[in-house]
Amino acid sequence: MPVMDIERPRVGPAPRQGRVAVPEGRRLPDRAAPSPVAQSRYRGWEPLSGDALLQRLRVTGRPRPEARPELSRTLRALLESGLEPACTHGFDGGPASPGPDVSDGPGRAPVVVTKDRLTRVLACEVHQGTAEFGTRPLSVALACGALVDVLFRQLVTVGTIGDPMEDGMAALAVDDHQSDLVAWLGALAGPERDELRAEVERQAGGLRRRWPTLDPAWLPRTQETLRVRSSGGAVELSARVDLIIGRPSRDEGSVAMVEVKSGSRRVEHRADLHFYALLEALRSPAPPFAVATYYSRTGELDVDPVTDELLVAAARRTAVGARRLVDLARGVEPDRRPGSLCGRCAILPVGVLGPWTVDGCGDADRRGDGMVEGGADGGVEVVR
Amino acid sequence: MTAVGDRTRGLLAPASDTIDADARVAVRDVLVARLAPLVAPLPPGAPVVVGLPLLRQVRTRPETLAVPDEPFAWRPVFVRRSLGLAVVAACARGRFRNPLDAVGPVMTEAVDRWRETGWRTYHWEPWVAGLAPGARAVVQAEAVGWASSLWAALDWSQFDALPQIGGNDDSWACPAAHTLRLKGRPELRVPLAAAPSADRHPGDRGAVALVSLTSGHPPDAWREELAYLALVAALGSPSRPVPARVLGLWPDAGAGRSVEVDEDALSGAADLVVATVAAVVEARRPVPV
Repeated sequence: MPVMDIERPRVGPAPRQGRVAVPEGRRLPDRAAPSPVAQSRYRGWEPLSGDALLQRLRVTGRPRPEARPELSRTLRALLESGLEPACTHGFDGGPASPGPDVSDGPGRAPVVVTKDRLTRVLACEVHQGTAEFGTRPLSVALACGALVDVLFRQLVTVGTIGDPMEDGMAALAVDDHQSDLVAWLGALAGPERDELRAEVERQAGGLRRRWPTLDPAWLPRTQETLRVRSSGGAVELSARVDLIIGRPSRDEGSVAMVEVKSGSRRVEHRADLHFYALLEALRSPAPPFAVATYYSRTGELDVDPVTDELLVAAARRTAVGARRLVDLARGVEPDRRPGSLCGRCAILPVGVLGPWTVDGCGDADRRGDGMVEGGADGGVEVVR
Repeated sequence: MTAVGDRTRGLLAPASDTIDADARVAVRDVLVARLAPLVAPLPPGAPVVVGLPLLRQVRTRPETLAVPDEPFAWRPVFVRRSLGLAVVAACARGRFRNPLDAVGPVMTEAVDRWRETGWRTYHWEPWVAGLAPGARAVVQAEAVGWASSLWAALDWSQFDALPQIGGNDDSWACPAAHTLRLKGRPELRVPLAAAPSADRHPGDRGAVALVSLTSGHPPDAWREELAYLALVAALGSPSRPVPARVLGLWPDAGAGRSVEVDEDALSGAADLVVATVAAVVEARRPVPV
């Protein structure tokens, strides 16, 4: 097998820094100028770069998880048992079809569970019902996330980024799913466009300086899709991961998964990573050995070693969320009890929570705290 | 032996059971007899081209059959297979060690060759040549992901002879209705050793296995879909042996499944074709005013 893995750091030449191509006349500063918030928060702290960043990803301090079919069975059982009450009835109220892969026929589309749907439905079932794909309000922050995603992909694949805005716009233009965003960007007013360009260039500069060139033998691949079906095909867990490094696992965990975020760190990002780890554990012989979020705004890298406990917790959380999504798909009324996030909710001005709304919930400047806009599938993230 | 090793070993297992010429003709004749009346109502100039995508569309989204196809326009996902296959071929021949190393040179060579000679090996060369660097990177990234899936799914060191990587589609035009064509597009054609017990005759071409890589999940009709590729190869190239087995890979789901091709498997695939053509013809039937 002519494929190496990234399982063990080897003594040898340090990974090269990203191959930086700076167009003439556009030489970037040696260091990114951090935002004022970042300056105050991270004074004295230096983001990892080059070999150090790679080592942080590769060396988790824990043994690599082994390929254990019984763990995979346990995780599946947790998912299935959590979904059982909802999936024993078909979507028309009748019994669900038995056996594997029964959801292939017309009118039997599975309930697709993504990290965003999971987070939304666990935060607020009302939110899930009102914030579906394609309804996210377009914003400079969202555009920045989309552009940084494609630039990161470009850096990993070809090793260079030219003019970040030009490259990013060209990449989005060949993606049909981004046609609305491309049109919106084309109509963006000068000052907002300048703001966006400045932020994209700053983050792209950080990527170029800090991200090492990945050894091609590790099979780095971007925007890889993971799909796992559960409950006889009634539910499909789906994810698209920004970067996977390492050959597919055999006897032990050999891949690391990285999600790139252009916005601020949020608590749900960890749960997103664990969802990715769960899917990889279910589709492959072994779980990934690490999952990580890279924050391109600050250069932070959060790495979670993957353990049995992490996977079991992710399976339980996924089962709870997936069951709620299945219930909603069957027409069950959403739970309208208020929660701690209601005060920061972007859709509260609509009044969906009625008498439970908190004071000041209709303020326009509360809009877009991330519950609706953030962490969208398709690689669009939010800058705050 | 690892899962990848086991999978490759299973793929390469000698072909012991071959479908003889009479059985192949019987499958063909039955299929023609069932298809001919189905397509009779179709007007001339309205061809039906059956392939794996149409087989799936009929089962999963039949309501879209009546929707006219959008005009073709190149997109990165349309390039990734052919570029990905060229990348895998370059790696398998030892030019490059892995897909990420290969994708840039392979794409550039194709575009340069087209510029010099006007010859389009892959058809996408002019489109790629006109792309800005950012868009080209997307094309390359898509191809790297696709090629990495195929490259990592098999143990290439087990191949004594290199598989045929890509190549022309298998194709068969229904003799009773030339508006109907079946197309098959396996990713690999892998030469197999014949089992000692297999009947061989001087001049026989060796048995092959096919490999198909598909996105998404194995569908409920995965056996019939895989056997369909063998059916089209058997009908389209009657002088060659019927493929002995077909290995399906669904990397998104981490799934790999294999079908041994026998008469039952071909009959199942033929049933799927008939059902698909019937659905397409029905969807195209003019709605009475």
